[in-house]
Amino acid sequence: MKKPLYQRVIGYVVLIFFLVVILLPFYWMFVTSFEPNSDISAYPPAYFPHHWTWSHYEEAFGQFHFGRYILNSVIVSIASTFFVLLFGSMAGFAIARLPIKFKQPMLIFLLIISVFPPLVVITPLYMLLRDVGWLDSYQALIIPYTAFNLPFAIWILRNYFLQVPGALFEAAKIDGASVFMSYWRIFLPLTTPGLFTAAVFTFVACWTEFFMALVFNPNNTMRTIPVGIALFNGQYTVPYGTIFAGSVVSIVPIVILVVIFRRWVVSGLTQGAVKG
Amino acid sequence: MSKVMEGRPWLQTGGKRVSVVRHDARAGVGMLAPAGVVILAVTIFPIVYSVWMSFNNIQLTENGFQFTFNGIQNYVDVYSAPLFWHSVWFTVYYSIVTVAIELFLGLLIALAIQNVEKLKSVSVVVMLIPWSLITVISAEMWGYIYNGVYGVLNAILQGLGVIHSPINWTGEPVTAVIALMAADIWKTTPFVVIILLSGLQMIPRDYYEAARIDGANGWQTFWNVTFPQLRGSIAIAGLFRILQAFGIFDLPFVLTQGGPGSTTTSLAMLGEETLFQNLHFGLGAAVAVSTVILILGACLVFLSAFRGMVGEEAQ
Repeated sequence: MKKPLYQRVIGYVVLIFFLVVILLPFYWMFVTSFEPNSDISAYPPAYFPHHWTWSHYEEAFGQFHFGRYILNSVIVSIASTFFVLLFGSMAGFAIARLPIKFKQPMLIFLLIISVFPPLVVITPLYMLLRDVGWLDSYQALIIPYTAFNLPFAIWILRNYFLQVPGALFEAAKIDGASVFMSYWRIFLPLTTPGLFTAAVFTFVACWTEFFMALVFNPNNTMRTIPVGIALFNGQYTVPYGTIFAGSVVSIVPIVILVVIFRRWVVSGLTQGAVKG
Repeated sequence: MSKVMEGRPWLQTGGKRVSVVRHDARAGVGMLAPAGVVILAVTIFPIVYSVWMSFNNIQLTENGFQFTFNGIQNYVDVYSAPLFWHSVWFTVYYSIVTVAIELFLGLLIALAIQNVEKLKSVSVVVMLIPWSLITVISAEMWGYIYNGVYGVLNAILQGLGVIHSPINWTGEPVTAVIALMAADIWKTTPFVVIILLSGLQMIPRDYYEAARIDGANGWQTFWNVTFPQLRGSIAIAGLFRILQAFGIFDLPFVLTQGGPGSTTTSLAMLGEETLFQNLHFGLGAAVAVSTVILILGACLVFLSAFRGMVGEEAQ
């Protein structure tokens, strides 16, 4: 159904305006990361840089430990995503397909705890991690990130497991498959779209998380990207060139990931809107 | 729950099947256990512990944390501090204003995407980029754009003749709040767009066809077809965003450091300051618990205001 011409024209004008507004700050960050310091603090600034330099990228990965921050973020995000998918799919399968009690209260409980802000859990966790000697460690972030992302994953995966015909479960059982086997061999492969959705949401949430990472892992060698950038202070001025060089490098992989998985992000949000 | 039963009617019958059911139930509990343990350890235990902490005076000594029960003293201290009420007020009006603007702009952009032929999938990708962006990076980016000495925003506004001399955006109370809101709206509106766009695509084509046959113009179609059908999605997007906005921390932490003075000190920032910079753990716990109560209250108010809409969507 083709829209009337005037509607399409207004649509294009509004859309292009906002696409430009969304993308311009990225352009500005990108070109600034290649400008020498004298140009970065020039006023009025040049909208297209006169001189290009790689020096900020050398600073970010040489003098500062940006490579290490990226490595830390990758390790923490991948490990948390793995545990969320494993535990979340098991719990989602149990709630969707097994005769356990209190399913409805469990689902409501999951919704409620996903509402709580990190502020209320951060101090007891800090004290606990401090007592155990786990501050400045990977598990200090992997465990809470797993817990905080499980509720959404369980909800999403439960919905996918419900769509798989129950008869399959019976058939597998008659063939002598154990409950765990039918989950692992039959149900899990049939719910890969749900796994993708849960994975992208968890990964992005871990990749961008700042509050807990700041409090639990402040040591320079254990910082994730957001903490590294936030504590990246120069002595007199903010080293914008270096910060943006590191930022550009850390944005590229996540953008590629989101572009590849965009279908599942959108379907995840749709699911949230329908079932939420 | 009932769906499971429907697929397996023999569950209600007795006899030998019962042991199978019991076996499945045991397997189910086993499969729930890992997620349950992690969630209990990392969310429920700390929440209960936070409540306990908020009734204690806590000192950090060489032997670890020393607790002394002091009743509601922490709450009395917190509620008699003007800074706490300032933070409550800032967090509340900041959340309401940003989320309202985001819903409006989000709807506008989603409708624009719905009305164009090309650029649709490109737009969705562009909307997902700010969503996946680390807030701290966004804060640094806007800090550079807003800079009072060499910021590009001043250059653009001066070039257009809107202002005569550069403004120190994050240095003055009013402009600091506006700057913070603009940066937040820039980053989170695209998320609202994606939710609303999904909602738009679920509206049956027939409704538009019927409106067209009845001779409704674009505006009438929007008010009588699109908007009523989209209320559920708007409510969901609003709820997600209100929850996030009430916990705002990253953006002011980097962009304004809560300043100038304490103008942009949100509740989460006040809590973090009390806990980890001033090491007042009891007071900080009282701030945290109060914040949670406020957030739950805000959810209830929002949900009861939108109950009809959410209910309709769930059908």
